[in-house]
Amino acid sequence: MNSVSLKQTGLGLLCCAAALVGFLLPRVPTVLGAAVVSFEDLEESLTCQCGCGLTVHACNHLHCPSAEPLREEIRAQMALGKSKAEILAYFRSKYGEKILSSPTTTGFNLVAWVMPFALMILGGLIVGVAIMRWSGRAQQKSPAEQQPARPASPYDKILEKELKDFEA
Amino acid sequence: MVDIGSLALAIAWVLALYAALMSLAGAYWRKRDFIASAEHASLAVWGLVTIAGATLLHALVTHDFNLEYVAHYSSSTLPLPYTIAALWGGQSGSLLFWLMILTSMGAVVLLQNRECNRELMPYVNVVLMLIAFFFLSMLNFVTPPFQRLAFTPAEGQDLNPLLQNYWMTIHPPALYLGYVGCAVPFAFAIGALVTGKLGDAWIRTTRRWTLLAWFFLSMGNLFGAQWAYLVLGWGGYWAWDPVENAAFMPWLTCTAFLHSVMIQEKKNMLKIWNMVLVILTFALTIFGTFLTRSGVISSVHSFTQSGLGPFFMIFLGATLAVSVALLIWRLPQLKSENELDSVLSRESTFLLNNLVLVGIAFAVFWGTVFPVISEAVRGIKITVGPPFFNKVNTPLGLTLLFLTGVGPVIAWRRASARNLERNFLLPVSLGLLGGIVLFSAGIRHYYALLSFALCIFVLATIAMEFYRGIRARQAMVGENPATALLRLISKNRRRYGGYIIHIGVVMMFLGITGTSAFKEEKQITLKPGESFTMGGDTLRYDGVTAHETKHIAYWTANIAVFQDGRQVGTLQPEKRFYKKPEQPTTEVAIRSRPGADLYLVLGSYDEASKMATIQAYINPLVSWLWWGGVVLVIGTAVTIVPNRAPARAPAYAPSRGRGAVAAD
Repeated sequence: MNSVSLKQTGLGLLCCAAALVGFLLPRVPTVLGAAVVSFEDLEESLTCQCGCGLTVHACNHLHCPSAEPLREEIRAQMALGKSKAEILAYFRSKYGEKILSSPTTTGFNLVAWVMPFALMILGGLIVGVAIMRWSGRAQQKSPAEQQPARPASPYDKILEKELKDFEA
Repeated sequence: MVDIGSLALAIAWVLALYAALMSLAGAYWRKRDFIASAEHASLAVWGLVTIAGATLLHALVTHDFNLEYVAHYSSSTLPLPYTIAALWGGQSGSLLFWLMILTSMGAVVLLQNRECNRELMPYVNVVLMLIAFFFLSMLNFVTPPFQRLAFTPAEGQDLNPLLQNYWMTIHPPALYLGYVGCAVPFAFAIGALVTGKLGDAWIRTTRRWTLLAWFFLSMGNLFGAQWAYLVLGWGGYWAWDPVENAAFMPWLTCTAFLHSVMIQEKKNMLKIWNMVLVILTFALTIFGTFLTRSGVISSVHSFTQSGLGPFFMIFLGATLAVSVALLIWRLPQLKSENELDSVLSRESTFLLNNLVLVGIAFAVFWGTVFPVISEAVRGIKITVGPPFFNKVNTPLGLTLLFLTGVGPVIAWRRASARNLERNFLLPVSLGLLGGIVLFSAGIRHYYALLSFALCIFVLATIAMEFYRGIRARQAMVGENPATALLRLISKNRRRYGGYIIHIGVVMMFLGITGTSAFKEEKQITLKPGESFTMGGDTLRYDGVTAHETKHIAYWTANIAVFQDGRQVGTLQPEKRFYKKPEQPTTEVAIRSRPGADLYLVLGSYDEASKMATIQAYINPLVSWLWWGGVVLVIGTAVTIVPNRAPARAPAYAPSRGRGAVAAD
């Protein structure tokens, strides 16, 4: 298969993909709006206090003195028809914040969530600016001034030549 | 015999300090005999530490329970492999083991560089001996391994039953080899900073050391995951425990370094950044060692609290302070005339790859220490558990996976439209198509869909690289495909070894995605003869048989597995009761297939009614994670073995709009 047929194959596949996306997109269910409280989701939102370091869902200690009563409490709270936020607020007020398996998204705890992404964005900006500056620096120079490329190894030269001849 | 161990550690402590000071003095006053004396002292430290380690091992194997360490971490009934593993099963033994690896690596470095890097070596020796001196100080004064008891107990307390597993015999050594291996590039980096020899000589010298350290960190993490999967019995392998995180962070920064160092080799750029990564990686290995021993953050993996924490913090602080001071001092010389021919180039992709890797490392670090920060700021203890890490790291991990596909095939220097079209049109199309097919097949987990599509994209880019290389060789040399493949790899091991490692990483992503998105579980209590279905299999509980050895008593559940009415096997999960200490553990039973693992745990058993509670899990694609590790081993082996061709200058193939074939 030469590069032309590769290109044709790729274009063909891309067209098929676009057609399928067009066909399937209207059929995608809107999952983001669904706020159904699931038992497993609540188990995952709480930390087992037996010392295993796992969530209530993951703790597999049979008759665990912490996970089992917590599961019963989750069932009881769900039976009252409460929302996820209400149920988690109940556990938080009863056991303290350490019962939650991840920090809340309010007050100081928000820092836990924001910081990694804030630093990534900051880092991204720095890297972006650096790339733009460095590429601009090279373009300002005349070809003679540009940083000379280090010589390719004999093998790389052979491979380059072979590929060039092969694709010619 | 034990006194020999204590004496060896005491002499080693003096000699390590002597070696560091003499090496420093020799380098400063240019006294060759000082430097030679320091190197001999360093080799003596290695010998003495080895003697101390051998002494402790001898005490363990001969059950010298008068020794506190032996009485605490072994017993006369403990099988020999675990008796040996007890060497790193406790606080002081593990520190001694750490030191044995460090001094052994130090000795190899000294012997390797007898004729080369002579300006750097005195400082390399100083750094390695100062690290050894710190660990020797801990072993001599804070947590000595050779402490005698006032009486000799008849029996030892035995090794923690959770550690009595094959994977635990190899997980800590692999991790320590990785941790300690990071000390070698760090020592060379410090040597380069002090001497001002800031070219890429130190990088070339330490390239294989870094790769080896990275390899052992990878294996250490994977062996630990395998251990958790088989021993902890919760159906998973990674719980974002602080100690797991501590081992993962240096792996991330080391991976970033292995990529960014290529840019320094090719373009003499990013010298400051590479120094930062080396320092950060070493600091994170010390931070990891600190986390397991300080008790600052609670973890199921921690050693007993011992008062080591403050010393490690001081050591870590001093290491960072000196390193950063040296870095600032050398900033003017490190600043390079950074240039990029184009925004669209492999260099840019590698910069983004570094950003994401370091970003993930920071996210993991932040989540790990946030409970301490929260307690300090608000006085309230909170938990940062798996949901936090999964939510934060999943998008970052998928970005990294995307860059894994882009990085190796985008052109060095400048990617032309033709290069992009030639290298990415087919892989992007295949990835999109794969995602759509999976969506059509009913998969509605959107992160999983994205992950699978990206895996297809990355595999396609790598496959194209191999395909083109093989075809080129076939056309020019007339080799058959197998020979062409072997020659292609053997003639450029670094490049194609890297691709193989990437294939392993993609396989791991497949495994992680499968288990994260599609895991099924069920807990059921059964009478003998009763059946239940799980993942298309019918499982019949045939009762429990009891066994006993002098070390453990255990129940084995016999569960027949049927597919389409035909018995295809029997699984035997166990419940074990160790006698010393009296502690129950689980021994899971797994029927592993490429599509999914059927994973069974015997939760409980009632002898009177013969009823057993079985916890059953279907873990889709999990075996791909382990096989990905095997591929990673193969890739690293290919990369690390030198080419048979004579040493060559670093290559930088000029771009002709086809950078995909440029050498690494």
